[in-house]
Amino acid sequence: MNSNNFNVIGKGVVRVDGLAKVTGKCKYLDDITLPGMLYSKILRSPHAHAKILRIDVSQAEKIPGVRAIITEKDIPNIKFSFNQNLADKLALCKDKVRYVGDEVAAIAADSLEIAEFALDKIQVEYEVLEAVYDPEEAVKSDCPVLLHDEKENNIAFEFHNEYGNVKEGFEQSDYIFEDQFITSRPAHCCLELRGCIAYFDDFERLCVWTPAQSAHTLKKELSIIMGLDENDIHVINTLAGGSFGSRLVMDMKEPIAAWLSKKTGRPVKIVNTREEEFATAKHRYPWVIKLKTGVTKEGKILARHINIILDNGAYCDKGSNTISYSYIFFTSLYNVPNMKNDAYLVYTNKAMSTAFRGFGNPQIHFSVESQNDLIAKKLQMDPIEFRLKNIVRNGDITCSGIRISNCGLEDCIKTAAEKISWKSKKSKSGLEYRKICGNKRKGIGIAIMIHSGAGTRYYGYNSTETFIKVSKTGLVNVITPVPEIGQGSMTVVAQIVAEVLGITVDDINIQNQDTDIIPYDLGAFGSRTTFICGNAAKLAAEDTKKELIKVAAKYFDTEENNIVFENGIVYSINNSDKKIKFKELTKYSYEKLGYPIAGRGKYYDEVATKIGLIGNYELASPENSYGCQIVELEVDLETGEVRVINVVAVVDSGKTINPITASGQIEGSVIQGLGYALTEHVIYGPKGEILNPNFMDYKILRSTDIPSMEVYFVEAGSLLGPFGAKGVGELGLVPTAAAVANALYDATGLKFTKLPITREEVLKKCGVLS
Amino acid sequence: MSKYYPIKINVNNNIYELKVKANETLTDVLRNKLHLTATKKSCGTGDCGSCTILIDGLAVCSCLVLAVTLKGKEITTLEGLNRNGKLHPIQKAFLEQGAVQCGFCTPGMIMSVMGLLGKIKDRIPTEEEIKETIKGNLCRCTGYKKIIEAVKSIF
Repeated sequence: MNSNNFNVIGKGVVRVDGLAKVTGKCKYLDDITLPGMLYSKILRSPHAHAKILRIDVSQAEKIPGVRAIITEKDIPNIKFSFNQNLADKLALCKDKVRYVGDEVAAIAADSLEIAEFALDKIQVEYEVLEAVYDPEEAVKSDCPVLLHDEKENNIAFEFHNEYGNVKEGFEQSDYIFEDQFITSRPAHCCLELRGCIAYFDDFERLCVWTPAQSAHTLKKELSIIMGLDENDIHVINTLAGGSFGSRLVMDMKEPIAAWLSKKTGRPVKIVNTREEEFATAKHRYPWVIKLKTGVTKEGKILARHINIILDNGAYCDKGSNTISYSYIFFTSLYNVPNMKNDAYLVYTNKAMSTAFRGFGNPQIHFSVESQNDLIAKKLQMDPIEFRLKNIVRNGDITCSGIRISNCGLEDCIKTAAEKISWKSKKSKSGLEYRKICGNKRKGIGIAIMIHSGAGTRYYGYNSTETFIKVSKTGLVNVITPVPEIGQGSMTVVAQIVAEVLGITVDDINIQNQDTDIIPYDLGAFGSRTTFICGNAAKLAAEDTKKELIKVAAKYFDTEENNIVFENGIVYSINNSDKKIKFKELTKYSYEKLGYPIAGRGKYYDEVATKIGLIGNYELASPENSYGCQIVELEVDLETGEVRVINVVAVVDSGKTINPITASGQIEGSVIQGLGYALTEHVIYGPKGEILNPNFMDYKILRSTDIPSMEVYFVEAGSLLGPFGAKGVGELGLVPTAAAVANALYDATGLKFTKLPITREEVLKKCGVLS
Repeated sequence: MSKYYPIKINVNNNIYELKVKANETLTDVLRNKLHLTATKKSCGTGDCGSCTILIDGLAVCSCLVLAVTLKGKEITTLEGLNRNGKLHPIQKAFLEQGAVQCGFCTPGMIMSVMGLLGKIKDRIPTEEEIKETIKGNLCRCTGYKKIIEAVKSIF
């Protein structure tokens, strides 16, 4: 089937959850009230590091309307982390608190007002301890602060790997570049505050309602921390008001609500305030990167050694995965024969970080792509020419063993350069292009990227299933694990099924909420759902179609291979005058043949069982996606203001299933990427308190801040993806910060190596501020 | 725990007689007392615009308004736009232009645009006016481009 023959794929179909959203009828977690529901608040640590000497809840318990209070004494002494071998966090602190916001106690009351009032009456006596906030201090062997007494030092996890021999590579190089890059601590800033409702049902099974990115994983995590049988838990995945990685790992609210519900026998709701969200809903890992690169005078990169210190915060979450995952892509954007990574995940007395759109790749790309422009300048090469000399192309095998295929990277670069007229603009670089206009300078910068386009296999599992049942009246119920976090995954699944069955998305009903019903899946991350859930949906639709073909062959009294499904109509090619509507065919099947219709699709990724957390990178992802961004900007040297004028983003995410939702993913992530580059950073005060826990002081871009944006898809294809599609959700912000820094380098000749590049940073670098 | 005050307000052309506390915000009254949950709560400090509604035709953050001050006011929420089951042109435009992703900012965003439509009457707004109108409405998903295009498309 060539692309011109598609009826639904590649079309800007209106999203299936759109109507409920524009009318405000859809219910997010905090819009739901269950009968008898109690409201909970969590008492959090005001100190960055302190011993808990005494907790007294007696005054709080006396307040009318307070139904339960829990502390660590009421819960099992089980520590948890996303990687359970790094488990270091109790749901409620026992002897010590380790960051401002750490959970100490929780109250369930008749109203939020009562819960808030009672919270103030819980008395906790602390002995404040010295704290450490700088990971470069915390990593030192003589650091006086130790966060976790059972550990020898503050290193939570380390990672060392080498492909080839970087020492030899550096020796063979003509030039060695050594640079340090520091990335920032952005918050996800989902507009929907994190929350959950928990209750025990009639059969004493725990039910948790929450907008999870990975409902099945949450179920497992709850069973671990609560010491419950996983079979006694189910999760209802509510519609998410943004996620961006923040909802992939259990928040302690979920077990806390469950314990409070157990104690009271009533449903319990907990929802963050915005301030709590900034303080405790986790951030993007801040990295300190030392990058050493060896190149020949002809511009071939021979060796690259990255040394990373990650600020883990007080507890482990997704840090170890972030390191190993992003290293895959460090090794596979360019052909570099010798590569090495030494990474340290270091405890500090700050909030935890977690997954955030791009999962380490924005940090990796900021360092690599920024340094590439320094190298190109030294070699007096155009940055594009330098990249084209080194990028991966189809058939290449990287030092980590990854065989490059379905790679549209070169097309992305060439398309972006052409669309923005790179040659004419860049050739005017230097004094001519930077014509002085008062104190303003203009610049243009490029960065390229690679990201997984089909999830990764290193959880040892990358499969899923989809079930379809077709009703007598022709409604196609698709039971899929795909979480809707705003990215439009329900619509993509509906389009895939509609295309196979020759119907429209209006004939489809998506069921994707209850873990008791939906198939097992790892969730929405790694830009994987279109590929993984999409493949399973396509297989299920094809299985369903086989059943429907049998029915149609009987109806038309013809061979099965004569049957065609098209635009809601079914006919036989040897007599196309006689037609039956899809809905009438299903009725015929149930009523005349007594034959029910259902289908099942299993996307089985057997290779996933062969890969561990470290190593076997040649098998890391079934497909990769690629991209290139070019940024034009203007900087005012007197005020430090950076005004981004235009961003051209070109993406190879295979066949585009829905151009509206796909371009929406890129536009949205480019703007997040500009925020990452220029404004977003959670700032800590001297006592470990967050100084900007609100949208006035933490600056995410507003409508008046956005540049013009052009998005293009090169559609290099995918042999394995549904209709040739690969993932698109995270691509847009991976290269953006580097492209901005490179444009500033072009404009000013100054290399900005620390994010975010705020006005203050610009003025410091320009020498206006000391 | 505190005193209640009687108020009579008109929300989406329905008259409600309520008793509210002095510190109750309009957001909480709409969501908790009238079960009109399209109006969202996200920051509670007027910085994000998720709770935007119309008071006598003006777009306002309902989290910054105390319900007790609203005697006799006419309030419109997103639920008030599509009575008779028909979408307002701005809702249709948001749907068709891909201006909705997670949807959480959508109610406030649409109500801010409604405020603009009421203000400019039949005049076509400039792109700058549209951007200024929704400047107080944060969207973390779309990058605003398709929202601005949706507003332009209705003229």
